[in-house]
Amino acid sequence: MSFRKPARYVLPVVLALALGACGIGGGADDSETTVSGEVKGEITFQTWNLKGNYADYFNGLVTAFQNANPGTTVKWIDQPPEGYQDKLSADAAAGSLPDVVDIGPEAAFTLANAGMLLDLSKTDPEAKASYLPKAWDANAFPSLGGTYAYPWYLNTGPSFFNTAVLQKCGVSKDPLPATFDALFAAGQKMAATCKSDATMVGRLPAIETFGAYGVPLMDQAGTKFTFNDAKAVELVSHYRNLFQAGGMTEETLNKLQTGEVDAFKAGRVGWLPGSSYTLKDLKATAPKVAETVAISPQITNDKPNMYIESLAVNAKSKNVATAVAFAKFATNKENQLAFSKQAAIFPSAAGALDDPYFTTDDGTDEAKLRLESAKAVSEAVVYWPAAFSSKSVDYLREQIALAVLGKKDVQAALDEAVKYADASLPKK
Amino acid sequence: MTATPVRRDTTATGTMPPRARPGRGGIGRTHDRWWTPWLFLVPALAIVVVFILFPFANTLALSATDATLLKPGQFVGADNFVRLWHDDRFRTAMTNSLLYVVCVVPVMVAAPLVLAALANGTTRILGFLRTAYYLPVVMSSVIVGLIWTNLLDSRGLVNQVLDWLGVISEPVPFLSGRWLTLLSAMVVTIWTGLGYYMVIYLAALANIDPALYDAASVDGAGPIRQFLHVTVPGVRTTSALIGLFSSVSAFRVFGEVYILTGGTGGVGGQNITITMLIQQEGTGLQAETGYAGAISVVMFVVLGLLLAGQLWFQRRGGSR
Amino acid sequence: MSRTQKTLRYLVLLAFFLLLAGPLLWQLSLSFKGAGDDLYAQPPQVIPADPTTGNYTGVLDRLPVLLYVLNSGIVALLVVAGNIAGATLAGFALARLRFRFRCLVTGLFVVALLVPIESIIIAQFLLVRSTGLADTLLGVALPTCVAALNVLLMRNGFQVIPAELEEAARIDGAGVWRRFWHVCVPQVRGVMTVVAIFSFVGAWNDFLWPLIVLSSEENYTLTLGLNRLRGTFYSDPRLIAAGTIIALLPILAVFALLQRYFFRGLEAGGIKG
Repeated sequence: MSFRKPARYVLPVVLALALGACGIGGGADDSETTVSGEVKGEITFQTWNLKGNYADYFNGLVTAFQNANPGTTVKWIDQPPEGYQDKLSADAAAGSLPDVVDIGPEAAFTLANAGMLLDLSKTDPEAKASYLPKAWDANAFPSLGGTYAYPWYLNTGPSFFNTAVLQKCGVSKDPLPATFDALFAAGQKMAATCKSDATMVGRLPAIETFGAYGVPLMDQAGTKFTFNDAKAVELVSHYRNLFQAGGMTEETLNKLQTGEVDAFKAGRVGWLPGSSYTLKDLKATAPKVAETVAISPQITNDKPNMYIESLAVNAKSKNVATAVAFAKFATNKENQLAFSKQAAIFPSAAGALDDPYFTTDDGTDEAKLRLESAKAVSEAVVYWPAAFSSKSVDYLREQIALAVLGKKDVQAALDEAVKYADASLPKK
Repeated sequence: MTATPVRRDTTATGTMPPRARPGRGGIGRTHDRWWTPWLFLVPALAIVVVFILFPFANTLALSATDATLLKPGQFVGADNFVRLWHDDRFRTAMTNSLLYVVCVVPVMVAAPLVLAALANGTTRILGFLRTAYYLPVVMSSVIVGLIWTNLLDSRGLVNQVLDWLGVISEPVPFLSGRWLTLLSAMVVTIWTGLGYYMVIYLAALANIDPALYDAASVDGAGPIRQFLHVTVPGVRTTSALIGLFSSVSAFRVFGEVYILTGGTGGVGGQNITITMLIQQEGTGLQAETGYAGAISVVMFVVLGLLLAGQLWFQRRGGSR
Repeated sequence: MSRTQKTLRYLVLLAFFLLLAGPLLWQLSLSFKGAGDDLYAQPPQVIPADPTTGNYTGVLDRLPVLLYVLNSGIVALLVVAGNIAGATLAGFALARLRFRFRCLVTGLFVVALLVPIESIIIAQFLLVRSTGLADTLLGVALPTCVAALNVLLMRNGFQVIPAELEEAARIDGAGVWRRFWHVCVPQVRGVMTVVAIFSFVGAWNDFLWPLIVLSSEENYTLTLGLNRLRGTFYSDPRLIAAGTIIALLPILAVFALLQRYFFRGLEAGGIKG
């Protein structure tokens, strides 16, 4: 028909996976105990959009594993960027998940809740020591009582400021805004001088912004969400005031991360919470902005935010032992380091961040950025709770937009978003 | 009339030009065996029943359960429908989708016919133009989204032109206003639909007897009168069919709103459509297939009613 | 037609041309922009400052485009053949044969038209998988190889054939197959062309369904393969634009070649007046 249905546009940020997780009743299947069996036979290993740039790395990884474990075959499948969530869900519904699968915490949560992933806290508790504790914990789901994926790579990023825009709108770039308060104050100033020609902020806060602002997102047991406290209301009120002063356009209320990046590249936004590959992207597609960009630490009231990608093992795999062995092999310190050096991401294996690659400055912009980000990674936390589904992400954005527009009370909007997110938690 | 016991002139389109009256020759000679028609139908029917109707029956069954993608779920009766009734987003979506049908369908039935009539002919230049008109149908939606957001953005080309003309003092929020966003999406729909339905009309125009135009011309009718008195009646059944197709796709609008709102359904979700809602609730790992099934069923019923209404309307118009 | 009328007609046609085809120019320009071009310049620039064909060679270097085109071609061929044959046969029966349950069957096709695909796509996948056709091109083609929309289009096409034509053949003693093949089918070539174009474009541009069915890269269709141009951590819009232009060319070729059949309606049937 005449209406093409574009598969969901995927954020260019692989780690900001919109892979949702949402409780769907019942507890996890905790029947498995330990993994037995020989490391033999064929397994499938699925990644998400890594073949384009890192095919050599993965082919090498597979060969190295097969050589070290004679009698094994690893079939590497790399999925294209769009529609990964649809592909995963079709496979999950058909019971044909790959043996080892590249996954974010939200997807891991949903699949674990349906009993589809191996509970590592039961089958491989010692593995914990091989990874950064906070990375391991990102896949530990208290409400399900287990840990469901081997941590793989991490990402975080500093703040990017377009100094040309700041200058034009009367905001000093010395110093750059370093706190939320300074950011909003500068935003107000820009609104007064520049109107809507350029604004400081290009997107509404997401769940991880609340975390960085210092809002507790969930209770300890992971049974209910708590991002509707006074602190959260304060954060949204900042955005509301900014919008009402003209410091955010109506269009930004509707933007996803890609929209924010595009607006930054077009020189309409002063501040972009970026990642370690943002600079490369700017240089390639918006050279003018890249020239005037200034980089400073991520804005946070607490610890910086980071994202994590992990490798989960299919609980129903025919060669579980092989799958586990491969997942551990791919996420060991040596292999993670090698991958980090090719892609602008960071390893989650214990001790890997002490490598000279992350500690020695060779004087280039890239190295400076890498060192700064690596330092941030060692402090950062994964704020986004795994149980916060992509549907909740959408709902939260919509509620905040209504509050910022003034169509809804801030507290009421947050209450509703919390209620919606709670409803999607696993039922007792 | 006919020898067959079942009366059968009640097919989907009420107004028909001269058509076969196969009864006259005696049904026995029309086709040799009772199953001959079924031989013609088997391939199409098999595919449609197996791959569309059977899965949809499954959706119907799911709509009465609390099933999710990964859990079968239990019978919950009409709970999903009750939940729908109280779901603000469902109401918004229904309003938007219905509004879409009302505004878009009349244009989709009329405008492509004008375009087809103008572009009808065998010269090379017309062939080139027709191919160009078909471009919006086949262009990548990513590019279509980029272009239209660039045009309609608050600092986009359209606003710049309006500003330059002095018509506006503030930029028009084509991509964020509650109703304006919907209107913008309709424009994109029409932009794509022109070429699509033009193709159907072109095939229909070829079946109009050229002698009718000659006769009209002899009577002194100009191009506009020829269009109104020969072309329009000549493609009546096709117009009815396009009314059907464009209603279905307008009610199911997804892509246009999706690309213009950057995948969000508008500021605060105000521009969400029924299909977007089904997509949000019913796809992905955390899909609530039961609830999404209920939305699909309601969508299906509303569309059915809409078409029945359209048919009734056409019949009444046609009987005069 | 008078000269003013003719001028007016071409002016309107030209306006439509700019309106409908103009955006392609933008895409074309993007695909030729080089590293020195600022893609986010305000106002947007149509003429590349640093023109290059590097984006096209870049696409061809990165991806086995020929293989993908071949796979897409196979799927499109299956879908086009299935739709032309299946929809023509069924459309003929619904429009020109009388039999018990004809209304009901017509109704079934209308119902199928209304079914929201989003709600059945997983069920379709489970079906295809259970027949062992997951990860095959046949599995991609199967569910769409006869579309309800095309059946209804063909039915409408057959309905407008004047009764006299078929009557004459019947008097000559032509059986139902002969009347179908020699009398009616030549009359609906235009509609069959429309069906061919629609099903070709549908099959060629589809993304989600082939993504779900296929898992081996050697079976990827062009839309799936080109999607790889979106980078993992950042992507180059220039490459993507070049990729979409490559994907567009076959569609335009098919359209340009087939459209002349729109105009073969009556003349082939040999009825005048």
